[in-house]
Amino acid sequence: MRSIKPDRIRSRVGKGAGVCVFAHPAILSSGMLLGGSIRRRLALGVRLVCLAGLAAWALLTPGFMTPLSIFSLLTTVSLIGCVAVGMTFITLTGNIMSLALGATLSAAAMVFLASLSLGTGTAFLLALLFGTVITGLQGAIVGWFRANPLLVSIAALGLIIGAAEVLTGGTRVYPATRGFAAFKGRIAGIPVEVLVFFATVILGQLIVSWTRIGRAMQMTGSNPRAAEVAGIKVPHIVTVAYLLAGAFACVSGVLLAARYGSGDMELGSGYDYGAIAAVLVGGTAIQGGAGSVLRTLVGATVIAAVQVCLLLRGFSDQLQYFITGLIVLGVVMLHTLGERA
Amino acid sequence: MTERDSSILSVAGATKRFGSVEVLKNVSLAIRRGEIHAICGENGAGKSTLVKILAGIYSADGGTVVVDGEVREIRNPQQAQALGIALVAQELSLAPALSVFDNIWLGNRTVPLFHRRDDLRERARRALGQVGLGDLPLDTQVVRLGIGQRQLVEIARMLTREAQVLILDEPTATLSDAEIERIFAALRALKKEGKAIVYITHRLGEVFEICDCVTVLRNGELVGTRRTAEVDRIGLMEMMLGRTLGEMYPERGVHRGEPLMRVRGLQVPGAVGQFDLIAESGSIICLAGQIGSGATEVLRALAGLLANATGAVEVAGRRVTLRSVPRSRAARMQFISEDRAGEGIFLDLRVDENLVATRLAEHTRLGLVQRRRLRETARRLAAAVGIDTARMRSRARELSGGNQQKLAFGRSIGRAAPGIMLMNEPTRGVDVGARAEIYRIMREFCAHGHALVMASSDLEEVLGMADVIVTMYRGRQVGRYVRGHAGMRQVLADITHPAA
Repeated sequence: MRSIKPDRIRSRVGKGAGVCVFAHPAILSSGMLLGGSIRRRLALGVRLVCLAGLAAWALLTPGFMTPLSIFSLLTTVSLIGCVAVGMTFITLTGNIMSLALGATLSAAAMVFLASLSLGTGTAFLLALLFGTVITGLQGAIVGWFRANPLLVSIAALGLIIGAAEVLTGGTRVYPATRGFAAFKGRIAGIPVEVLVFFATVILGQLIVSWTRIGRAMQMTGSNPRAAEVAGIKVPHIVTVAYLLAGAFACVSGVLLAARYGSGDMELGSGYDYGAIAAVLVGGTAIQGGAGSVLRTLVGATVIAAVQVCLLLRGFSDQLQYFITGLIVLGVVMLHTLGERA
Repeated sequence: MTERDSSILSVAGATKRFGSVEVLKNVSLAIRRGEIHAICGENGAGKSTLVKILAGIYSADGGTVVVDGEVREIRNPQQAQALGIALVAQELSLAPALSVFDNIWLGNRTVPLFHRRDDLRERARRALGQVGLGDLPLDTQVVRLGIGQRQLVEIARMLTREAQVLILDEPTATLSDAEIERIFAALRALKKEGKAIVYITHRLGEVFEICDCVTVLRNGELVGTRRTAEVDRIGLMEMMLGRTLGEMYPERGVHRGEPLMRVRGLQVPGAVGQFDLIAESGSIICLAGQIGSGATEVLRALAGLLANATGAVEVAGRRVTLRSVPRSRAARMQFISEDRAGEGIFLDLRVDENLVATRLAEHTRLGLVQRRRLRETARRLAAAVGIDTARMRSRARELSGGNQQKLAFGRSIGRAAPGIMLMNEPTRGVDVGARAEIYRIMREFCAHGHALVMASSDLEEVLGMADVIVTMYRGRQVGRYVRGHAGMRQVLADITHPAA
């Protein structure tokens, strides 16, 4: 049986989806659970049928239900998933997405590797701090200056890549010690990436639906002016959303650094696209205000599952880009169908 | 003389529906040359709908239009222009980056592709002269002009289109006194030339100052047309209101309590100057004024929404710093916006989420929100303001205007400590049936020792609800009246054209 490299999968997920994200400002049927109109129910029905179809197709794919492919699926989901959970906060507050998260996590991976001589824990915290501060700054600019979030993230992307180039001279970063072993391998038979991701999802969902700040994010995304009138400090909330996005993305960066044992700016390329595709397919409203981390988990899983199945069935790279593009486009159109009621 | 007396434009039986709502019912009126004809009525009376039909922006569902003795159909703005009917809308349609000259000819159908520029310049200059802007250089960029001058340029533009009937929709709403005088001078000159002018206004003072006759609409129906010489302010006001006060409004509180809020020297540059206010607990204070009176800005400043507001504000003896919503809220001042869709409530969130939107802090323990307690609170608040608890999981968007307003009110009540409710236009967009209920819960709120300060341009509402009426005109207080000490006449006089 062919072995599947998760990194190959994720780079494809990313690039194919990225194009389509721009194709339409998707609108999600926020009331997809109960009630609502016939159209909404129809949209929900189509979704469920698609999910069932995908599940059946996956089960019929030879080799899908083997530990190897299941774990590779889970690992792929996890690496994109951590970024996607972070992205969910940005989308939820009505700031669409960040195109700089991939570069941020690459840079964080390098920070982690370069500072491993200070101890694994310290290196991890430094990497997290790095990503949190860099992304938080973008949030502050978006929040206080009301700058366009996409443009801010594009500017940040350039700054991060440029600064990394200057500091590293464009070379790969290799760690001084092998202190990253804690972030790879398996615990009780389950890949560490997967365990870390589950912790991320639980923490993320807890923040979104069980904390004041999560509620405030939903209100801000739903209507920033109304949030302000309701006494919410909108710039603060936006900044916090970005802080969280940076922190979650960097978790993925550290996992990748540990996985490959060295890092450069290519490490995380495409992850931001993969993440936004997961957010969209999961069904968080691109205009903000409605969504959840659990939906993002579903989205990341769907995309990774399709990728793995296509790989197992021996389809070419090009076709996989195409299929991922189709999925995102289909989801985006489904969203408007549900909303137009 | 016979020609001047004949009507140039008349409408018979005009009817217009939006969906199932009939906004204009069988309205007839006649406009004569050399006359300024006012159209008055409350918000929603159908004034704007009527003139938009005349200008071809809406098409009527019924009725006939006669122009110069011939029955005509006006299907679109181009046809209206061809018939000599021109509308100067409230939102001006000039292109600020272009010159006065370009703006005057912009969109004029009669200009050929190859034209003599000198001829056009000459005609533009003549039109500007007609509105008293003869000395304005044609190449001035419109962006450099004041609002009043822009208004006049817009009128001049209509004159170059050979307009015989000029319709002005609240032309003075945003103008200063000096600018208003220039507009009036221009209108008087045009009247002398035999143009017919339809003048929509909220300001009754202007009706008597420059209009020859006035047509009153109410709830989409024609109340009547009078010559201004034959009617007085009270008569006109009664025509506009048409129904008796009372029943709609709940009984007032028995006594007024201690002062709960004191405002001294409140200032908002360009909107409010040196405004003082005292709100006693248990009472409803109405800031009565029209658009531009500053009443809305007073409320927004107190709510912490205006970044340039200054003044000394005390609530229950404690000093409140303005310019921050959270600080105002901490001082127990709650603002309820008239613009529910824009900033009042969260249309896409559920009813229960809306109801608890401002009280998450009280329902948080160990950093986590207590969802069950939140649901209970939402239920309690919904019951208090009369929202069906079966609708707790509906989106706020799906509620009627009245229910949305109850939602906005509901999220602001339920606190024991005396607070101040700041309500702007409490019943805007709320149908008559739900109004009485809103008024009732407003009064009930005050009965618990709170105070309510509301701004309203609806005089009937002001007189029906207020324990204290504060009349405002152009950012300043004109008068302050305790219940029963001022009637419609006084309030109206204050807010339209206060004694100099």
